[in-house]
Amino acid sequence: MSISGGSGGAGGGSVGRGMSWCSTTSVSSSGKRIQKEMSEFGAYPPEDCSAGPKGDNLYQWIAAIIGPSGSPYEGAIFFLDITFPTDYPFKPPKVMFKTRIYHCNVDLDGNISLDILKDSWRPTLTISKVLIAIKSMFTEPDPYNPAVPNVAHLYLEDRAKHDKIASEWTMRFAT
Amino acid sequence: MATEQSETPQNPKTTPKLIESKSNGEPIFSPRFRSVAAMAGWDEEALLLASLIVEDTPERESKQRKRPDFPIKTPPPSSRRKRRAKRANPSPIPSVVLDLDEEEGTNSGQAANGVKESESKSDPVEEKKRGGGEETCTISTDTEATASFLLLLLLLFQPCLICLEICYEPSTTPCGHSFCKKCLKSAADKCGKRCPKCRQLIGNGRSCTVNTVLWNTIQLLFPQEIEARKASARDTKSREAERESSRDHSYNVRSRSIRPVMVSSRDVNMRRRRNLPSQDEDAAYAMRLQREEFMDVFRGTPQEQVGISSVSLARANLRAMASRANSLRIRNRHL
Repeated sequence: MSISGGSGGAGGGSVGRGMSWCSTTSVSSSGKRIQKEMSEFGAYPPEDCSAGPKGDNLYQWIAAIIGPSGSPYEGAIFFLDITFPTDYPFKPPKVMFKTRIYHCNVDLDGNISLDILKDSWRPTLTISKVLIAIKSMFTEPDPYNPAVPNVAHLYLEDRAKHDKIASEWTMRFAT
Repeated sequence: MATEQSETPQNPKTTPKLIESKSNGEPIFSPRFRSVAAMAGWDEEALLLASLIVEDTPERESKQRKRPDFPIKTPPPSSRRKRRAKRANPSPIPSVVLDLDEEEGTNSGQAANGVKESESKSDPVEEKKRGGGEETCTISTDTEATASFLLLLLLLFQPCLICLEICYEPSTTPCGHSFCKKCLKSAADKCGKRCPKCRQLIGNGRSCTVNTVLWNTIQLLFPQEIEARKASARDTKSREAERESSRDHSYNVRSRSIRPVMVSSRDVNMRRRRNLPSQDEDAAYAMRLQREEFMDVFRGTPQEQVGISSVSLARANLRAMASRANSLRIRNRHL
């Protein structure tokens, strides 16, 4: 039984080709859920984080995280793009760094290698939890699951040098 | 009443009063209990009213009498589960509350039960199991006291974490997490047969049954929200919800005629498409029946309208009882 009208379909309208009762749930449920998250985020934003829709499109968000103190990214503001899939709570949102960052889990294009954004995504996770996870990534990089192996290597071999480069990049790009 | 008895060894000061009040046939709560209740947002009147309602329910009374008498004789599964749940969480609860919990099986510790739940942040399964025991009460009255009690209960019930709304047709996973049935189904479809919360493996068939008790509770508490969701969920079938509420009787007859048909999960889906009542409506029907049954017992009249006047009557009664108890207490203090 396909309860998921157009599973994997791109764009909001694609789900409509299923039976009407499932299409209404499928499309509006993701929208509703995002709306709920938005109001919840507005009410209780995580520390040093902010996020919201870019424009009219509920599925395109922009977020900002302030680099936590005690890390080479301290005080800088990092911007992220968040794109919600149409079957959102069931598929993870795409989160990309818009600000360049020297980090072993973020590649040059801004892609993040974070397990909860991939395989271990759960529908009960919310965008605020994702942002918290990303924030904790600043202080505790995961060199064993790297997006940039070189950086991960340097992080393991010579932490001081890694931190120096990271703060240089932060100065250059994020402040 | 056994609540007081359990307390007596701990604070002997209150003993005479409590016994006095007991002989009077009025449940008066000990100060410690009341403080706990106050923490949970219950005023004395609400507590009294809740306990009175429980004591007035004969079925419940008889059920409770039976239990301690035949502890071994294969109890019904619900009670066994309940007992297991009780055994499962003895440790983190403060002593007084624990006493209440242990007595709960034998007395009408309805209010105590609610308070206890708020005290120990027991996991959703247990709450639901306990909810099973309270069903008679939950479904039955429209009084403010039970409403606040239900509110307390439902504050503990989390909303569906997938749609972040009230659980619509809640379905509980074997690991004890509840979601809307639809949400859980689509989660199973789109991201594998794992619990959306804890990623534990769950069977598909079992995940799609509605937790009736929880569903009834939610329906009773948030009728408007549920109606709204119903309306939006089945746009095409539609109007059924309204018809349900307006033409109660005809609906009952209809769903009764359909009920005996065997339902497989595939059948349910087909039925849905064909605009036929299914599990959720059965649940609603069961709830309505239970409510009517209670009204019969409670009032002696089947009309639901009477409920309102009965509430005010009960309240006035309780107020008189409370004031009498109060004066009694004061007199005791002087002696």
